[in-house]
This record gives sequence, structure tokens and C-alpha cells, in this order.
Amino acid sequence: MKKNTKLTLLLLLAMTLLLAACGGTGKSPNAGSGGSGGGETKTLKIFQFKVEIAEALNRLKAEYEKEHPGIKLDIQTVGGGADYGAALKAKFASGEEPDIFNNGGYRDLETWLGNLEDLSDQPWVADTIEVAKDPMTKDGKIYGQPMNLEGYGFLYNKDLFEKAGITDVPKTLSQLEEAAKKLEASGVTPFANGYQELWVLALHGLNVGFAHQDDPNGFVQGLNDGTASIAGNPVFEQWIKLLDLTLKYGNKNPLTTDYNTEMTMFANGEVAMTQQGNWTQVQIDGINPNLNIGILPMPINEDAEANDKLYVGVPNNWVINKNSAMKEEAKEFLNWLVTSETGKHYIAKEFKFIPAFTTIEATSEDLGDLGAEVVKYSQDGKALSWNFNKFPDGAMNEFGSKIQAYIAGKSDAARLLEDLQKSWDGLKAK
Amino acid sequence: MNRKKTSQLGQQIVFVGPAVLVFVLIILIPFVSGLYYSFTSWNGVSGEVSWIGLDNYKHIFMQDTAFRDSFWFTTRFTIIGVAATNVLGFALAYFLIKPLKSRNVLRTVFFMPNVIGGLLLGFIWQFIFVKGFSAVGELTGLAFFNQPWLGTEGTAFWAIVIVFVWQTAGYLMVIYISSLNNVPKDILEAAEIDGASRWQTLRTIIIPLIMPAATVCLFLALSWSFKMFDLNLSLTRGGPFGSTESVAMNIYNEAFSNNRYGLGTAKAIIFFVIVAVITSIQVKFTKSKEVEA
Repeated sequence: MKKNTKLTLLLLLAMTLLLAACGGTGKSPNAGSGGSGGGETKTLKIFQFKVEIAEALNRLKAEYEKEHPGIKLDIQTVGGGADYGAALKAKFASGEEPDIFNNGGYRDLETWLGNLEDLSDQPWVADTIEVAKDPMTKDGKIYGQPMNLEGYGFLYNKDLFEKAGITDVPKTLSQLEEAAKKLEASGVTPFANGYQELWVLALHGLNVGFAHQDDPNGFVQGLNDGTASIAGNPVFEQWIKLLDLTLKYGNKNPLTTDYNTEMTMFANGEVAMTQQGNWTQVQIDGINPNLNIGILPMPINEDAEANDKLYVGVPNNWVINKNSAMKEEAKEFLNWLVTSETGKHYIAKEFKFIPAFTTIEATSEDLGDLGAEVVKYSQDGKALSWNFNKFPDGAMNEFGSKIQAYIAGKSDAARLLEDLQKSWDGLKAK
Repeated sequence: MNRKKTSQLGQQIVFVGPAVLVFVLIILIPFVSGLYYSFTSWNGVSGEVSWIGLDNYKHIFMQDTAFRDSFWFTTRFTIIGVAATNVLGFALAYFLIKPLKSRNVLRTVFFMPNVIGGLLLGFIWQFIFVKGFSAVGELTGLAFFNQPWLGTEGTAFWAIVIVFVWQTAGYLMVIYISSLNNVPKDILEAAEIDGASRWQTLRTIIIPLIMPAATVCLFLALSWSFKMFDLNLSLTRGGPFGSTESVAMNIYNEAFSNNRYGLGTAKAIIFFVIVAVITSIQVKFTKSKEVEA
């Protein structure tokens, strides 16, 4: 009896030790590897969010490890807006902090500022395109390396446009309606509206109203200190007219149409236009590589010059964990990514990114039709800003719900703008 | 004597110790730290955690209409969900203790949805509601299938109820079956000889005798539907326009997308208290109905 008790007690002890050990290693992931001698390999942990490049990143990893003996890359990918944030928080909470991760800039920068390494002294900073520095700049310091540039507007099917007899690209709201009518007459649904996706509505859609303000940054500032208002703002009223237009000439059940359905309809030539950006190129090529497509501006009024613009911005940035034991290695990796021949090659040819650096060249063959068009617009200075990363935390869900309610006929234009204003006021507090 | 005492203690540690340890590690400690965070304005990331007393609770009770809406949604869902799964689960069990040839196959079939994870089920049913139903609707022209099932408030609510009932009824069926098998045959025979109708037997003999199972089933259904998250997330994500946001999802969004961890935990604490109160009342109530043959 006594012997048995002893044995089981011993087992119990062993179990607790095991548990303790599990907890212990979780706390300091890099302590062991950081302090090791030259012969041992160090592991650089990267936690990133772009699902589209996950595969190419794995090939890049092989090349990097070949060029840098002693360094191993551990790359993890978790896609999708809010889920990435939650997963990242879980990583930090459990002590499994990555060395390199992603940050959207602006509000997201504020949230994570305490964990980010100042990268202002890095060699690539001088080569960064000016607008791409903006999201990660705080008090004159730069905290992140822009991943790429992206642009969006209305994707359109050039063949369907031709068939419907549309010769000029629509640049005003009434021209767009004219085009939609012609398309409808030729038997094609003009718009595919993926309005189940909150980001389509509340980020990219609503941004139209912000980007067309005279001073978008000032307007956001004004909303935060109460001197500006979405309710009653003429630009937003015009934006609702555009939303109405897409609904009037759109597919049925927009609220249950998700991103995949939207893209499938467009790529199969069932619809002529859809509000998306150049990141869809890969997906469209997968369904229908011969599709003849381009990007249209999203006009909200009759001023052709003011409306002939695409919305171009930095979707994401690489940042370095301030508390990482591998900061130098992490900096070296980011530097290598944008300055070495291999890194540049991957950014332009494998990731098919529109580079955010003047030193990286990407031809229109690399980028595809959509990317090339975005580059053309932004080089001509016909680009408007992305403002949705300046929205308060959690704004996507709230704004999205309000706009969906409008689409479902639960509120009218004036009430929608009031609701948006109320949501902003509620979320900005604290 | 002393030796006996230590041996007793040893046994306690061996048998209860691991469970207590795990309970403390993964339930008690997070709960207590959650309680602490609910009095702070922590955003979930920064190193700065400032104590703000009862402000979070005040905010929830005074201003937070979305939380109230989600509570109302969850309450409606719970009432209908608990009733429907239990009725269906019991009905299935009642018929599947009859000597049918396909009895075992049917039991497996009805239990199957429970084996698949809720998240996966949600995505499967999302496909059925969006693509499957509309395809059937186009072929038959029936209005029932032609509605945008996940696109309006009313239908989205019922869509979640349907999937929830379909998923959980099989589990409750198994519990009811085991309990129905334990109803003594002699009492049923005596009732039959006394000329009791089927309905009378069911109402006055079977149901009182399976009350212990009903206690368990009601408790399970109650806590499942109150805490429902995965179905909600994968089926509607709280949409359309936030009308089907369950409390669990509202808490998740508050803590992780609105970056108000403190406020989220405060909601979670309130939610915990309410669920605890309701389920204990239910258990107490149904326990008092239990009888012995």
C-alpha cells in the first residue's frame, strides 16, 4: 500500500514538472537560441497575414537559409483582418512572441506601438516611396517596412463593355449610370456586389467618402475631436448615391454574396463590374486567365477630373518586435528582402507586388493588367488615399452592419450617416 | 492512526489532485485574472493596465445597446433552441426504442452531426443556405427556397436555429434513449393491463421516470445555446447587420476587434453570472420533478 502511494505520488510530481516545463519554455522563446554560440542555428519567427504569398514565402525561405547559414526562418501565416489581430494577441499573451510580424499602420500602429522597434535608421528607408511611409510614421520615427502598394476601384470586363457599345471609360456618376444601362440592355448584370463582406462595404466602400474630403487627415482628426461630422457631410451623401447605383444595377441578394461568389461571377463574365482591387489578379487568372480586364475609378459626382482616380495605399507593413532577442537578425532579413537581388526578384515576380520602393522595378507583365493600371494611375498622380486604417478599432463591424442595414432597407440615407457618426463617437472613446 | 491519515491524504492528492491542478490552471486563474481586467481599461496589447473601477460595468448597463440587442437575440435563440432540441431529441429517442430494423443505422445517422465540429457545420450549412437552397428554388420555384436565407433578420435567425437543432438533437437523443431503456417494463405492462392509452403512459409514467435525463438534457441545451459561438461565427458572422450577434460573439468582438479587453471581460463576467443563475434555477427546478419508480 505504502509503496503504491509513493509511486503514484512520484508520477504526480513528474506530471506537474512536465506542466511546469511546458509553461517555462513558452515564456522565453528566444532566450536559448539568442544566447547560443556561433555554431548553432538561430530561428527567426515570422508571423504574417498575406495568405496569397504564403507559398512563395516558403520558396524565399529556402533561398534565404541557403545564403545565411546559421539562420532558420519559421514562417506562419494566418489570414483575414480581425482574426490575424486576435491570433497575434494570443501569441503575445502566451509568450510565443514572433520576431517579425505585420501591422496595418495608423490606428494599428498606436495599438502595438509599445512592442515595435524603431526602424528609422534602416538603409531602405531612403528608398521608400513617400506616401508608403505615412501609415507607420509616428513623431517622425518609422516603425515598419511597407509590404507593397495596392489599389482598387471598379474592376471591369473590357469585352463586355465593348459588346454593350461603351466606347468611353465612364468618369462621372451619370456616365457610369449610362454605361450600366447599356450593359443591362445587352443582357449583362452590370455590378457584382459582394456586400456580405464587411470590408468591401465598410473599409473600401466607405473610404470613398473619406478620400474625397479636401483634407482626409484633417477630417479624421475633426471626427475624433468633434469638430467634423459624417452626418450631413455632402461628400458622404454623394457616396450613398454611388452605393445606390451599384445596388440598382447589381446582382440579387447582395447581402449573401461573399468575396468568392463575387469574384467567380466576375471572372466567368456574368457581370461587367465589381468593386475590388489588383490583389484579385491571381484569383481571376486561376478561373479565367484570358479575361480582358481593367480598373475604373469610382465616381461620386459629375466632376470628371476629380473622380478619375483610384484608391492606392499600403495594405500592410513588416514590423519588428522590440523585445525580441533576434532584433539584429530580423533587421537584416527585412533589409535583405528589399535590397538583395533575390529579395527584389521575389517581391516583383513571385509575390506580384506593386513595390513600395523606388529601387525595385516591376514590369506590367509581372503585375498583370490590374497591377499595371494601378501603377499607371499612381504615377500620373491620380491616386486617392486609404483612410480605413485611421478608423477607430472595431469600426469595420459596426460600420459594416449599419451599411448592410441600409442596403436591406432598414434605414434611409440620412439615418445611415447619423448611425455612422454615432458609431464613430462610440468607438473613439477611451 | 497517523499512517492512516497520511495515506488518506495521499489518496486524495492522487485522485483529486490532477483534476484540481488542471482546474486551477485553466479555469480558476484565467477567471480571476479576467475579473481583474474587467476593472481596467486594458486594450489587450499594451503594457499599460490602468484601473478604472466600475466604469466598464457602468458603460455596459447605461450605454451599450449592442450588448443588450445581442442578449435579446441569445435569449430568444435559447428559448426556441432548448425547446426544439429537447422535443426533437425526445421524439427521436421515443421512436428509436421501438423494435425497428433500421434502428441502429438511424441512431448513428441522427447522432452524426454532433461528431462534426460546429465551425465546419456552419460552413457546410452556409453553402446549403446560399447555394443549395437557391438552386432548389430555381428548379422548383418554391418561395421557401428562394428567400435569401442568411440575408434577412428573420430567416437568418431561423437558419441558426435549424442548424443548432439539427446538430444537438442527436446528442440529447442518445441520453433520452438510455433513460427510456431504464424505465421498468413491469410498470409499463401494468399500465397497459389497466387500460392506459399510449398518451397516458407517456405523460404519467415515462416522462416522470426520465426526469433525471431531462435535467441533464435541459442543462446541456441551455448552456450550449447560451454560449453558442462557432455556429454563429461560421454561418452569419453576426450578420446581416449585426442582427444575429450572440452574446459570446459580442464579447469576442469587443475584446479582440474593438481592442477593449477590459470592457470585453466585464461583459463576460456579467454573462457568466447570468448563465450560472439561470442554469442553477433550471437544475433545481427539474431536480424537484424527479421521482423514483
